[in-house]
Amino acid sequence: MASASAPAVPQITLTSSDGIDISVDRSVAQRSVLIKNLLEDLPTESTNEPIPIPNVNEAVLKKVMEWCEHHKNDPTTTNDDDSDSRKKSTDIEEWDQRYMSVDQEMLFEIILAANYLDIKALLDVGCKTVANMIKGKSPEEIRKTFNIQNDFTPEEEDQIRRENEWAEDR
Amino acid sequence: MRSRGMSRRYSDGANSVSSASTSPERDIDDDNESFMMQQNDSQSSLALSIPDEELSDSLAREIAERSRVSPISRLPAELMIAIFQKLPSSKDLKNCMLVSREWSRNSVGLLWHRPATSKWDSLHNVVQSIRSAHAFFDYPHLVKRLNLSSLGSQVSDGTLAPFEQCNRIERLTLTNCTKLTDLSVAKMVNGNRSLLALDVTCMEGVTDVTMEAVANNCFRLQGLNITSCRKVTDDSLVQVARSCRHLKRLKFNDCRQLTAKSIIAFADNCRQLLEIDLHGCSQVEDDAVTALINEGPNLRELRLAHCTRLTDSAFLNLPRDIKFESLRILDLTDCTELQDSGVQKVIEAAPRLRNLVLAKCRQITDRAVVAITKLGKNLHYIHLGHCARITDAGVIQLVKHCTRIRYIDLACCQSLTDTSITQLATLPKLKRIGLVKCGNITDRSVYALAKKPIAEYKGQPTSSSLERVHLSYCVNLTLPSISALLNNCPRLTHLSLTGVQAFLHDEFTVFCRPAPDEFNDHQRDVFCVFSGTGVSRLRDYLRTESQSQPYETEGTMYDDEQSPQLQDMQQFPPLPPPPPPAPPAPPLHQAPFSQHPQQQHLPPLTIPAWPQTGEEQSPNAMSPTHDAPLSLEDEDFEGSDIMAGPEPAPEPPHSPQA
Repeated sequence: MASASAPAVPQITLTSSDGIDISVDRSVAQRSVLIKNLLEDLPTESTNEPIPIPNVNEAVLKKVMEWCEHHKNDPTTTNDDDSDSRKKSTDIEEWDQRYMSVDQEMLFEIILAANYLDIKALLDVGCKTVANMIKGKSPEEIRKTFNIQNDFTPEEEDQIRRENEWAEDR
Repeated sequence: MRSRGMSRRYSDGANSVSSASTSPERDIDDDNESFMMQQNDSQSSLALSIPDEELSDSLAREIAERSRVSPISRLPAELMIAIFQKLPSSKDLKNCMLVSREWSRNSVGLLWHRPATSKWDSLHNVVQSIRSAHAFFDYPHLVKRLNLSSLGSQVSDGTLAPFEQCNRIERLTLTNCTKLTDLSVAKMVNGNRSLLALDVTCMEGVTDVTMEAVANNCFRLQGLNITSCRKVTDDSLVQVARSCRHLKRLKFNDCRQLTAKSIIAFADNCRQLLEIDLHGCSQVEDDAVTALINEGPNLRELRLAHCTRLTDSAFLNLPRDIKFESLRILDLTDCTELQDSGVQKVIEAAPRLRNLVLAKCRQITDRAVVAITKLGKNLHYIHLGHCARITDAGVIQLVKHCTRIRYIDLACCQSLTDTSITQLATLPKLKRIGLVKCGNITDRSVYALAKKPIAEYKGQPTSSSLERVHLSYCVNLTLPSISALLNNCPRLTHLSLTGVQAFLHDEFTVFCRPAPDEFNDHQRDVFCVFSGTGVSRLRDYLRTESQSQPYETEGTMYDDEQSPQLQDMQQFPPLPPPPPPAPPAPPLHQAPFSQHPQQQHLPPLTIPAWPQTGEEQSPNAMSPTHDAPLSLEDEDFEGSDIMAGPEPAPEPPHSPQA
């Protein structure tokens, strides 16, 4: 993880839900607003103690920290940027695309972890990735993609289709 | 707090046990800090409520199994909604609705947030679903935005009537639905406690009845646009001012019936006012303006164009020693009574003005301009068109102190000469310059504009920032200087040369955009505006010409004397061009087309001031989109686009999402 860092860079330790300690540059870990706020609330002497991250297992936590490492120099998003990201853009930069090329199990764990750790930009990329998997697909294709059971009756499906016909050509 | 809220949400999803029992609505309502909630107070009811189910072991097992088989089911409702929000088209959302019950619950709110009502076909379908007694979802209460402006005058009270039950609408945009009356509009408003923005622009049929309904119902209202609603009177607006205390944006353009009475009521009651546009409210007087500035600590944008009764007192009556730091935009177009002392006072009171429009304030002089220089780097946008008393001296001072000017208009400031324009040309961020009818300026000014302002910035060569240049009726200009301008300003997208003889030839005018329909023959004859691709085509043409020229021994249209210089200027590569040798302002009284003696065949050049410089002089000329973005400092989140004209809702006919 933090192997490339110069010795002077302060490190912190995170403990995953499965009890594994992971050592990370403090600045990298602080991409997570949750961790950042935690560190700020802690008295200085106790920042050397491992911080438990009870909801994220080792594999996911490492994967998330990999993203934070790569994006550690990104400008922190302002509220303006946030409103921009709400625009329905599904563009994802190349590195992030490769980063998100994981199985669905991992993909949704990353999204959950990003939400929990409050890493907006990562959550955003995750949501865009899923949106791209939905885009342009028929309902049946979507079900197949995500292995979802159709629990509508044919009549219900038909009714919803009729009531939302207007959405077709907008 | 925040972290606690998140861990709860997370466990809802991650443990996969309780997620199904957490109704989306509760989940979101509980957690006001959810990332989706920011800047948007309308999301709280995006998802539908479903009854809480009893948790049983078998259900828990079922859910665990489901999340193993289908990992996406681990995501709680709010994250599904976040994903759906990224979908580019409503067709995708509709397909999501058809995937499963859970997916439809999480997508229906987004889809119906702003139903498609820009075409009749879709409108009919929307209305049918809203009316249906046995609809699958409670659609009427999901509609948060309704915009019928693209159907305009075809919309009747009967069209709007079915939407009366949509009483959670937050933005109702009925711009130009001229047939609508109180009958339907007041009913839409009655019973709606959610309305944030109402736009009834150009609806003659809207009267005090509707405004009283607004006053009695819409306590959360933040934006109100009653442009050209001539039947709304002070009386009902005073009621609105008293009950809608959260109003932030008001647009009362051309409401000539309004007086200071209602405006003062808004100033006194609505302390959060950010923007008010009283364009053409010709009865508004000084005390109203004094009150607006003095009582509105947050007021950022004050537009008073054509409020012809205003005098210096509007500003002189402001208390001493109080600074109104929020005021950024002030439009005083055609406030003809205004004089230097009024300008001096307002600059003193509002030291952070960024956009200042004093067009047609014909009485102001260099003294006002010197006062304006106190704005220093804050000033980005200044319009002094038709302030004919301004001289080179004033403009030179302005350039010296206000070095961040991006937009300047000095149209019809006829005493200006090359002396000040060459100074203006040094402004490093200048994007747009308007010099229409500055008849004294010569090619020297244009060469200066063509020259890169500061040759280097941090060691990097910079290119000119100029994008729009208006030189109509600068009759002395000739081809060589314009060629230089084109070659050295790669970002140029607009160049107007109407009435400049040197360009009124078919060989150039083929690249012009067509004259506006309302122009008469004479106006068409002299019309010469290049925009967009027209600019680049003209540039290419001139370059080819200059390259082919050496081979043309005869029949060249230029004097031998001039052609060397002409070639010099034209053969610069576009980027990075070496700055053209500042030409020693050749005596260019002799235009290249000497066979067309100027003004011999043409009647005096009198073209209406507005059309000739393109859209920038329209009433919306100051819209932020035309110059420096205002959003950078826009700290108010709740619908900063409330009054940004007709909501972009009726998207252009959608290209099918293949």
